[in-house]
Amino acid sequence: MNDEPHHRDTPSAGKTRREFFVEGGGLVVFALSAGCGELTPKQARERGVAFKVLNEKEGRALEALGDTLLPGAAAAGITHYVDHQLASATPLLILKYMDYPASFLDFYKQGLAALDRLAHARYGRVFSEISAAQRTDLVREISQNVPAEWSGPPAPLFYFVTRNDAVDVFYGTQEGFAKLDIPYMPHIAPKEPW
Amino acid sequence: MATRSVEAVIVGSGAAGSLIAAKLSQAGRQVLILEAGPERSASSLISSQIWARRLKWAGPPIETGGKDPLSVGFGSGWGTGGAAVHHYACWFRLHPEDFEMQSRFGKGLDWPMSYADLRPYYDQVQREVGIAGDAAQEVWRPDGEPYPMPPLPLFSQGRLIARGFEKLGLRTSPLPMAINSVPYNGRPACIFDGWCDAGCPINALVNPLVVYLPQARRAGAEIVHNSAVTRVLTSPNGDRATGVEYFDAQGRRQVVDARVVILAAYAFEIPRILLNSRNGGLANSSGTLGRYMMAHTTSNIYGLFKEETENHLGMTGGQLLSQESYAKTPAKGYVASSQWLIGNALKPNDLLGIGNTRPDLFGEPLHAFLRTAAHHLATMTFVGEGLPDPDNRLVLTEKKDRHGFGLARVTHQFGPDGLKCWAAGIAEGKAVFQASGAYEVWAGGRAQMHTLGGAIMGMSPRTSVTNSYGQTHDVPNLFLAGSSLFPTAGAVNPTFTLSALALRSAQQILRSWPSLSI
Repeated sequence: MNDEPHHRDTPSAGKTRREFFVEGGGLVVFALSAGCGELTPKQARERGVAFKVLNEKEGRALEALGDTLLPGAAAAGITHYVDHQLASATPLLILKYMDYPASFLDFYKQGLAALDRLAHARYGRVFSEISAAQRTDLVREISQNVPAEWSGPPAPLFYFVTRNDAVDVFYGTQEGFAKLDIPYMPHIAPKEPW
Repeated sequence: MATRSVEAVIVGSGAAGSLIAAKLSQAGRQVLILEAGPERSASSLISSQIWARRLKWAGPPIETGGKDPLSVGFGSGWGTGGAAVHHYACWFRLHPEDFEMQSRFGKGLDWPMSYADLRPYYDQVQREVGIAGDAAQEVWRPDGEPYPMPPLPLFSQGRLIARGFEKLGLRTSPLPMAINSVPYNGRPACIFDGWCDAGCPINALVNPLVVYLPQARRAGAEIVHNSAVTRVLTSPNGDRATGVEYFDAQGRRQVVDARVVILAAYAFEIPRILLNSRNGGLANSSGTLGRYMMAHTTSNIYGLFKEETENHLGMTGGQLLSQESYAKTPAKGYVASSQWLIGNALKPNDLLGIGNTRPDLFGEPLHAFLRTAAHHLATMTFVGEGLPDPDNRLVLTEKKDRHGFGLARVTHQFGPDGLKCWAAGIAEGKAVFQASGAYEVWAGGRAQMHTLGGAIMGMSPRTSVTNSYGQTHDVPNLFLAGSSLFPTAGAVNPTFTLSALALRSAQQILRSWPSLSI
């Protein structure tokens, strides 16, 4: 990661916060680039940036899963976000908090493969090709149980983690806070590109 | 391999290590701090729940198991200042009964000191770092100097929840927090934006980066980052520490010779380092090293109100406190304490974010819930005591870290007292929210918070690893610091207590320096 000093005002904070930073010791506002070029996950998706560690089939499954978990997560770039983090030496995914004992990359690859196999076993097609209602049914099932056809990381854990990825990429940003009509109020604003 | 010599080497730059470093270096001792993680400064503390994950443990993996596995990732630290860099600054004193559990109730363990022994150190640390609160209104508070700052303000969700406590005849008080409510010791006041969890770059919230590490550096202490300590080195018979071994950022083995060695590392790492230092474990003649690992039980109560709750404002740790159920009264049917941290500031995402308050929801219902909850959700956090159990234990596995040293596995489960205490708390919490007027009330699942024990202090070398100063019974010039020392957990967040203990240890090290540094 590169730390790039980036002088910037924080519009949501208003005069008091600007004054605070000046009076409080001249803190400059930093922003970070985590190496997805200078693109946000959303921009990376729109421009068709190639995945680093996921393959196209896994990407299609994660996009479909993301939109099932939180409509709009695909357009917000969940797949490029996860792919980029998995390619990092220090992924910032919520999986870090799950004390998961094995490879993060395998967690996603095996989970997405299990999801496709489950969809195929039930409906004869992979997850991205079944109907929205069928996707909802499968996601509800893996949120609570490990289906007999499932082979991968624990299904409820896979649901919990990818659901958090969707919330992270959709609502965990300044743009996301604005969608909820709550102020972001950063001390030091994160740079939008990941 | 390179070797250097210092008077004191401290492993870990968190709350305990930084405090001891400051006191020793101010007294003229030559101090080197070895920090396993990278260098951080205030400008590293980005206001983002996602970026904040960089501040969490990225060292050797720790296997967790048992019925109630301890949490490794979420509450840990990685880099300058350790976990205290992103802690919530809820600073409480343990209660006198927490120190005398075995004597008074026949359960748990006794500390090798009383509250009265530790009180002056609580008072001194409180003056040095600054705590905001209202000692008079905090009726459960043990004796001590009044807080040096007035309490932090209340926001809507705090007022709403307090209404429920009041209706049930339960008292609340301002939450004592090591966060400036007014400018203090050259640091500014909090601006209540709820980013405590991502670290406070304005220095309103106390952490090692803003108080004790700058003091230590000004007094000449040196800190070396990316230094993974693997062993304490000793004399051949193991009765004297000669220094530590570590691997630097390039993976090169290094040795530091030191007259005094202080392990103030992550609570999982202290026993791991000692177990790797000698067959059977260094400073382990008692056989208790790695045992008595503890945690607090925790759950959140949630409620939706028709009023705006302003849950984006305030402090992550909360606004109000209630310790009405703290007293260990066997008549309750269990012996354990608990407290409520009321009105935690919330963000939409992350483990404790609004999205995870209803983990069952997905799809459009999740959007709808988030839009409502961002404005109308209120919450409070239960903190319950887990009792010490020797079978809750950290051991080395056959697996090795990249330097060839054993990795740790920890098993843990709560006992019946802790579980009954938690269940009673959740019932009380729901009743409070219903009384407060919430139109929908629910409780989150049970989880574990704070890691304690594993290298406990005690009166007897036969049943504990250290004495009351954190000095190991077996190796007089080897000290331990941090929550690993706690023989009981109480039901309060541990940073204030481990800081008071660290101050007491530092003074003892300085008093006994001539005999330690032979």
